Amino acid sequence: MGIPSAPIITKAFKDLAILNAAKRGMPRERICFTQHPVWGKSPEELKVYVNGDDPVNNKPFMKEVVDALTVPLSDEEKKSGMVSVSVGPPTFTDTVDNLQEFYLNNGYTDFLPIILPTEERVDAMMKGTSHHPDEVVGKMAAGAYPPWSYTVRHVAASAVMAGCRPEYFPLLLAVASTGIASLFSSTNSFAFAMIVNGPIRDKLEFNYGIGALGPFAQANAAIGRAWTIMSKNLGNGGIPGDTYLGSVGNNLNYNNVVIAENEEASPWDPFHVQRGFKKEENVVSLFRGLGVVPGQVARGSSVNTAPMFDQQMSDLFSTFTGFFGALIIADPLVAVRLHEQGYDTKDKLIDWLYKNTTQTVKDYKSRNYSYLFEYPQALQGVEPFATWYKLPDDAVIPHFPRPSSFNIVVTGGQTNAYPQGANMSYGVSVSIDKWT
Amino acid sequence: MNRRKLLSLLGMSPAILAGESVLAAQGEKKPAAATHAAASAKPGTASAKITTVNPKGMPPQIQLIPMAPRLDSLDGKTVYLVDTGFHGSDMLLQQIQEWFKTNMPGVTTVFKRKAGPYAQDDPPLWKEIKEKGNAVIMAVGH
Repeated sequence: MGIPSAPIITKAFKDLAILNAAKRGMPRERICFTQHPVWGKSPEELKVYVNGDDPVNNKPFMKEVVDALTVPLSDEEKKSGMVSVSVGPPTFTDTVDNLQEFYLNNGYTDFLPIILPTEERVDAMMKGTSHHPDEVVGKMAAGAYPPWSYTVRHVAASAVMAGCRPEYFPLLLAVASTGIASLFSSTNSFAFAMIVNGPIRDKLEFNYGIGALGPFAQANAAIGRAWTIMSKNLGNGGIPGDTYLGSVGNNLNYNNVVIAENEEASPWDPFHVQRGFKKEENVVSLFRGLGVVPGQVARGSSVNTAPMFDQQMSDLFSTFTGFFGALIIADPLVAVRLHEQGYDTKDKLIDWLYKNTTQTVKDYKSRNYSYLFEYPQALQGVEPFATWYKLPDDAVIPHFPRPSSFNIVVTGGQTNAYPQGANMSYGVSVSIDKWT
Repeated sequence: MNRRKLLSLLGMSPAILAGESVLAAQGEKKPAAATHAAASAKPGTASAKITTVNPKGMPPQIQLIPMAPRLDSLDGKTVYLVDTGFHGSDMLLQQIQEWFKTNMPGVTTVFKRKAGPYAQDDPPLWKEIKEKGNAVIMAVGH
């Protein structure tokens, strides 16, 4: 902009602020730090912050601010030019024990034991695709940082580390090609999910029966784990304080929510067909959000003669943030019963859920994500938020902004009629076949 | 932790602070165990050496951006106070506005909430600041 600026950051984000400025080309940016948190503090408490010291630099806070704008620049602060960043040599040579320790200590792993990516194993993994080892697969950003790029070989190394087989490799390349990391630089501790559709489910022996979301098949386990290891290595994600900020963290990040749809037992079109793919195509679809909750706790979940699955889901989703969508994970018994009750397409159920899952404007405005993300859009005239923010507090509005906020997938072993719900929104669906 | 240590810990050489090529400064962060030394022990023994692939992707080069020239003084100048939209940013900036009124009354402050969610760019506001302002204070990174 060409105008002197003084950014103010709370002290909890000191490392992030310094590194972010450096990665964006200003390693000497004059960052002024205040106490943490600012959120929830009274004007009197904030006045103490302003009149107190910068807790990082230990100087009077407002002197830091004024100095940031007025002290003449040093030679270092005037520098321009390009700087390269190295991630080390392309290979490492040492003993097995030392290398295990090295990969662990350098943040290449998820802190569980790994298969070391020897050149032989990486070569074997790359036999799972016809793509050249040096082909650039995509770009992945760790939060707001500039994205890193990576080749087929880089993806293969992470795939080996996670315990994948070469036949899984096209699926992992498809995921990598989206550039979506499963570790996201936000204080919110996000979780990620993937839905796998097509004949590849059987070829790779995915489990979509009993315990579909649990640790009962190598494909579900290793492919989910590989996404996290890829996110750490391909885009440099998952460094606490730098490229990962989730305050509490999320256990689902270990291997993500991997869902192979039980297409055969579902009465509805498979998820990928809804997205325009042919049934015989192999497709992976990615989701991001906050987590998964069980449906058996919802209202209406103990009705014997006419299970109210629609009401259960609506009840469950009314606790979700509308900013993310609602992903229904339905056991086939639930899906079949809903089909018998008249929901002969997924869209019919989605339409009912959209219209019947509601909230008052007062409740809507009080929600965190509404204030942070939707109120600013309302000010810009983006609908439905612009209209919602003009309505009286007691007006009743949909809990989710649009029907497309809902998605449905069917999986499970039919041992009981239980749905689960993920507060997650759909990202993208990509072809796996393209990467064979 | 200081900037120099932070950058070196995360694979970015502190040379970036001086604008040197980080590649030239790799000696500062040699892998603790791994080297390119040829295997010397018998394969299959605990001391046998193997070669593994570095799984890290390729970071982009960093374009250093010279900082904007500073002002001689804030007296008589217009300082924009820009609210990112994070909770409490507006209230913190209001206290800073009060501080200027009391301690540097010669400074004119203008409060603005940046348009859109916090990560969204706001070119019209940057244009306004460039035309009408002399400096910016932006808050708050949470």
